[in-house]
Amino acid sequence: MVTSKNNAFLMDPGGVELFSAMLANVIKEVPVEKITHIFASHQDPDVISSLGLWDQALTTATLHSPWIWEGFIRHFGMNNITYSPIPDEGGSIQLDEVSLQYIPAHYLHSSGNHNIYDPKAKILMSGDIGAALEEPEAPLFVEDFEQHIPKMKMFHQRWMPSNRAKNDWVARVRKLDIEMMCPQHGRIFRGDDVKKFLDWFEALEVGILAG
Amino acid sequence: MSDSTNYFVAAAVIAAKLDRATKVSQRLSLTASNARVVVLRAGESAAGFRPLTDAIHSLADITVSSSKRINTIAATLSKTSVQMFRADRALKYFLDVYARAKGSPNLASLDESFERTKAEYERLSTLYRKQVKNLGDELSSIESELRSAVILKTLCETEATRAKGEYREAFISVSRNVESTAREIKELIGYSRRQVEILK
Repeated sequence: MVTSKNNAFLMDPGGVELFSAMLANVIKEVPVEKITHIFASHQDPDVISSLGLWDQALTTATLHSPWIWEGFIRHFGMNNITYSPIPDEGGSIQLDEVSLQYIPAHYLHSSGNHNIYDPKAKILMSGDIGAALEEPEAPLFVEDFEQHIPKMKMFHQRWMPSNRAKNDWVARVRKLDIEMMCPQHGRIFRGDDVKKFLDWFEALEVGILAG
Repeated sequence: MSDSTNYFVAAAVIAAKLDRATKVSQRLSLTASNARVVVLRAGESAAGFRPLTDAIHSLADITVSSSKRINTIAATLSKTSVQMFRADRALKYFLDVYARAKGSPNLASLDESFERTKAEYERLSTLYRKQVKNLGDELSSIESELRSAVILKTLCETEATRAKGEYREAFISVSRNVESTAREIKELIGYSRRQVEILK
């Protein structure tokens, strides 16, 4: 979640089963009425299936998500929240003093997908890119990149279908000044590990049935 | 809040059964039209059957229109019950948030959402009870209309015995169709009535 003077921007709020834990944690930081914007990087249930419950809690919020998923995401239940479609080329959003950028990440893995980049904090919320499959009690940060590779490899090869889309994203992200890259699952990459990840990902062949 | 978690499933099942009843009722219309054709062909020997075809037509019309009406009520009820379930579920989650975020200075900011959802749940509950009652009344009404089908079938059988041999089988078939169609609709209505009792 990113907060500004009058607004809170909640990213990938999660599935139905996580709703009460998520709202309880959010409410410890900000009052409910301050949550004015929700972002769903893509349409997956673990990203946004809680929408029907947020819709009961927030009546004036806006959901920002790729245009391609509007008809799909509405099936999670959306009567009060307004859908703001993000175009394929991305864009930006200004919340009081905070500016955030939508970075296109299509086909990584979803066919309509965006990351969020905060140029001031130099943080990239990379969604499923950089995700690792490991135990919930795993440390928050990547400590040894080489040891971390086996936890990411199969996920990226199996879920992400396009080498072209992947290399296009790597080229785009290399231009950003990133201090932290935060995937939705797994661990956070800091400093040099961000560059190590981009190098590793660029060299990785994806779209294969990896075991 | 309701203890039942599957009332919206029961409402959907009723809607489906009544949709089927509408289709079966349309078959009764076809039986009435067929009976009219046979009466025209049979001429004077089927004079007694003519008013019966009108009665079959009338029964078919009533059954088709009321089953369509009931079907609409059931579909609306199904929608209301899903909305009610969603509001009910949100309230349960909100209560969980109150427990998990106990002591947080922002917790009172959830009150407005909670009260609004509770009011919506109560509005839906009132609407739901009204729709369930309405559905029950309509089902009772169609059930009593269908009682005349038994009398119609008996009258048709009696008239069939008076018809000439070549038409007798056709009239017997009409009376059987009236009976079987009415029985099928009655079974669907009876099932729906029992489900409505559960919803109450």
